[in-house]
Amino acid sequence: MKNSLQRRIKRRTIFLVMFSLVWLGILVLRLVQLQVINADQYRNIVLKQNQNTIEVIPKRGTIFDRNGTILARSMPNPSVCFRSSDGETLSSQWDKIKKISVICGLSQSNLRIIRSKIEKQDPFIWIKHKIDKEKAEMVMSLKLNGIGLEDENKRFYPQGKLASHLIGKVGMDDNGQSGIEYKYNSILLGYKGRSLTFKDGIKRDYQHEIIEQPIPGKDLILTLDETIQYIAEKELAKAVTTHGADWGIVIVSHPGTGEIFALANYPDFDLNHPPSSSESWSKIKAIQHLFDPGSTFKIITASAALESGTVSFSDVFDCSKDLKKSGKIFRDHEKFDMLAFPDVIIHSSNIGTIQIGERIGEQNLFDMIRNYGYGQRTGIDLPAEEKGLLHPLEDWESISLASVSIGYEISVTAIQMLQAINVIANRGVATRPMIVKNIVLNPEKIQQQPYEYRRVISEDIASQLVNIFQQVTEVGTGTAARIEGYSTAGKTGTAQKFDQATGSYSSSKHTALYVGFAPVETPLFSMVVVIDNPKGLYYGGQIAAPVFHKVGRQIFRYLRIPPKPVPPKRLITADNRRTPEQ
Amino acid sequence: MFLSIFAGLFIIFFLTFYIWHQAESVRIGYETKDLEDEIERLNDNIEQLETQKAFLLSLDRVEQIARQELGMAVPSENQIIFEKDEKDLRQPDQ
Repeated sequence: MKNSLQRRIKRRTIFLVMFSLVWLGILVLRLVQLQVINADQYRNIVLKQNQNTIEVIPKRGTIFDRNGTILARSMPNPSVCFRSSDGETLSSQWDKIKKISVICGLSQSNLRIIRSKIEKQDPFIWIKHKIDKEKAEMVMSLKLNGIGLEDENKRFYPQGKLASHLIGKVGMDDNGQSGIEYKYNSILLGYKGRSLTFKDGIKRDYQHEIIEQPIPGKDLILTLDETIQYIAEKELAKAVTTHGADWGIVIVSHPGTGEIFALANYPDFDLNHPPSSSESWSKIKAIQHLFDPGSTFKIITASAALESGTVSFSDVFDCSKDLKKSGKIFRDHEKFDMLAFPDVIIHSSNIGTIQIGERIGEQNLFDMIRNYGYGQRTGIDLPAEEKGLLHPLEDWESISLASVSIGYEISVTAIQMLQAINVIANRGVATRPMIVKNIVLNPEKIQQQPYEYRRVISEDIASQLVNIFQQVTEVGTGTAARIEGYSTAGKTGTAQKFDQATGSYSSSKHTALYVGFAPVETPLFSMVVVIDNPKGLYYGGQIAAPVFHKVGRQIFRYLRIPPKPVPPKRLITADNRRTPEQ
Repeated sequence: MFLSIFAGLFIIFFLTFYIWHQAESVRIGYETKDLEDEIERLNDNIEQLETQKAFLLSLDRVEQIARQELGMAVPSENQIIFEKDEKDLRQPDQ
């Protein structure tokens, strides 16, 4: 009995062990089948179900003004996407897309593209990039399986319209399309990375692995000053609208370094809602629009006169009669008699300047124009700068010397005129205008952009010219630019616009100009003002010079530089009047 | 016999440990992901607040509020007194 029980137990134990071993063997065989024989096939299925490789978009660098005010920054913004599930029918996927199409504002062409991706069984499809947060919440409230949100970056400009042309805009793909955003795109953009996301059975992310680290874009610190830019834009807008002009430019810089404090173009636009027409936002007129500089170009003629030694301060010119050159009559804006060299410039006599030009000669004048940098780019770090138009000396006609002396037959940009006045302000040294002051390589390391200098005229001659241009604002054509309590220097200009239709200079359309700097002793800022096609008054001294005055006065206030007290004018009264008897 | 039972127990223990380890890895994965998301969210929040501050302090907006809501105006020349201490003078760095 006992033996029979022991045998039964032994038999059952052997059976159990055998069963376990067979079961284990089957498991091992199945494991070999899954892990070795069909490994690649199952690995691919698992990877498709549980892993997702996505591009990691780097954060675009921030743009700051010189004092650290944010001008442009990328902020996370939801985008709607769709991840299809295995076994889901095409019609079921398409139904989900249709349900959100109205909220997402999908056009017929968007829908066609999405449909073709669904048909190609694309596992991840972008439905709508950078959607409003409210709309994103509405989409998510529908709780459609596979429809989700991914954060992308959207550019935001907290200052709105400020320096809109200069900063420029970015496209939907986060690439710069104009201005600094375009010029410094490769630095601001950074480099894309890749990450692997692991998902569980209900498609929740439970692990992120960065396969390739994204490199965020570098920040830029501009030379721009938010406050000076604001002042310049406000006064420019007032001048353009008051005088019914077509558009205007104001550029303010530091003459000693070439740093641009403000670069205003009017009309402007809101960077957060740019107009659809690229013409409105893509062109930076300050560096791209060409115009005849008119009398502001007498800066160069005067420099050439003194530098070549062909004219001295005491030389006198007969400005009483109109001049006829190659059939064209040159006149002055008012009647003059005999004028000494400085007075020719101070009162902006065309007749006197043409006579000075004749003494200088074509070669000397041409060389000085080239020395000042006309016909060449200034090298400002903005895209698509124009070189201007300077005809080669061989192409000059008999009238060209007279025309060029007074700023015609030559086309320049506003930034070139600013560079010219900076030569005078710096006592003969030209500086390269610059917009980006520093590139932030990392929080500890900043790369400073280099300053560039070159001498154009001698210091002595530049100092003599400073005195002349100071007189322009005190007794000459630029008195409206004078700022009480501060010394100023500058030159006015009024140029007839070239009419393409008639092929001649228009007598009714003008460009009003002013270039100047202050204070004279140690210049703190220089400025160019261009007002295009003002109606009614049109002289630079009447239209552009007051803008210099208004902007300059506010800059001095902002920089807290007090005016020098003006000595009170002595009143002549009966008590203190000397009589012959005394 | 004893060896077989021990092997069986060992396998059961090993499988239990393996399953626990996997479950724990996934749980820590969720937790890490949540914390990483939280750090990213807070950093984004900081940047968002900085940008909002820049927007609220934009000169155009400040001037509009000063003029329209507070009735302020630009002071005339004789209403401005400049500080005498030159150390306090604000100038752009050069």
